[in-house]
Amino acid sequence: MTPREFAFVFFDAARIAELGAEVLGLLGLADDLHIEVDERTPVSRVTLSEGPPVVVHAESGAFEDLRKPRAMSDEATTLALARVLLRLRDRRQGGFAEAPPDVDLSLPHVAAWDSYSVGRLGRLGLPAHEPRWRYNFRNRHGFTDAADAAFTELWQADELAWGAVSAISDGACAVAAGRA
Amino acid sequence: MRRFFPVDDLARDHRFHKLTIAERNGDPRSTLNLNGDQSRRSTNRLTPSRKDASEAARSLMHGIFVGEIQALEGAGRTCWDFTDAGTAEADAAAIPFALKLDMARQAWDEARHVEISVKLSDWMGTEIGAYAENTVLFEAACSTDPVLRLAGVNRALEGLAIDVFTTMKEFGNLAGDPFLSFCEDWMLADEVTHVKMGSDWLRRLTETDPERRKRALEFQGVVDKLFSFGGTRSDSDESPIGLARRFRELAGFTGDEIESIAEVSLEALQDRKTEAQDLQRQAATARFAETTG
Repeated sequence: MTPREFAFVFFDAARIAELGAEVLGLLGLADDLHIEVDERTPVSRVTLSEGPPVVVHAESGAFEDLRKPRAMSDEATTLALARVLLRLRDRRQGGFAEAPPDVDLSLPHVAAWDSYSVGRLGRLGLPAHEPRWRYNFRNRHGFTDAADAAFTELWQADELAWGAVSAISDGACAVAAGRA
Repeated sequence: MRRFFPVDDLARDHRFHKLTIAERNGDPRSTLNLNGDQSRRSTNRLTPSRKDASEAARSLMHGIFVGEIQALEGAGRTCWDFTDAGTAEADAAAIPFALKLDMARQAWDEARHVEISVKLSDWMGTEIGAYAENTVLFEAACSTDPVLRLAGVNRALEGLAIDVFTTMKEFGNLAGDPFLSFCEDWMLADEVTHVKMGSDWLRRLTETDPERRKRALEFQGVVDKLFSFGGTRSDSDESPIGLARRFRELAGFTGDEIESIAEVSLEALQDRKTEAQDLQRQAATARFAETTG
């Protein structure tokens, strides 16, 4: 866990490590996990490199309690870690071999994969506020009935491969662009 | 009923979390590129192409919602806090009854904006109180001089609202969000009216008192800088919110006044960068001292 002590925010490094271990257990992953927090920025970007060890790089906004700036939120930390680690598990379990690396994913594809991920995390008992993710999906796929149907399909699914996730996303984008 | 209401006494239920100016200014973190870091994005302007666009829009929408509550409270206070110039109870700070009527109309508008903002937040997947409430807006509505209140609230605060609503309306248009752009457009029209009312009353009330007008405009400058939120609003792409020059013209700002606000906003951006760099240096030094013992 880096850093061990925070100076810009009131985060607890030990607690973040503990939550990381819990998420690994929840997802059935047995990796060594290193978490790096960039506390200089309040942005909420989270990236992952597969390693080994697996390294999650998070900007401090990702773990923050939005009601109390600079304070840590267990809920936000857990969900932020779970999203990127579930994506890692998807890639390893097959069916996602042709998915581009995270940095090359288009914004609609990120939103589609996030919808598929957070829906499953919700069923695992993590806090998943569906309207928030539906809004994000609409922003990337258009405010149409087709986009809403696509979101629901992703949100409720448990066993999709990348081909299906990207096809659902592309289909909704095509409707928004008037191509379907 | 009590006159002049301090910010600490604003009525809020358990869902709201107030954020003081000191807390806000004490945050050493920044989205601004302080050290020429190439990995940081070159623009902070709120557009759908930003990776965090949805989250940033939800956060700004919640900020608008609490701002509308405070604007309602501020306009309502101005109706009540000052005596009526045409009556026996009139004192030195008395205001014309017609101004009170305008403030009552504004309170009505703001109440409608609160309702619209709640519904828009819900539409965007945000619950009431999901973000901290910055009460700096109401603090500008606490002046004991009604002319300063008009300058601070109607011209500076409502002027900022013009900039914010224009940015959100453009965001909604680009994203294809039918409700966001529509609602922001309607609220924007009201804000232009509120600024115009403030400008007109400010001129009328200080017609024979240039010194008072000067003080009011100075106060507006201070509030404008404060409301630039450390560079959140300026012409620079580093600021999420742009300066809505055309709508400001419609609201009665002169070209010189708009240029002055643009300058103040850029100053606030630079000040925030310097301040964040200082805070980050102090925090890093404190951490080094702790770890080395």
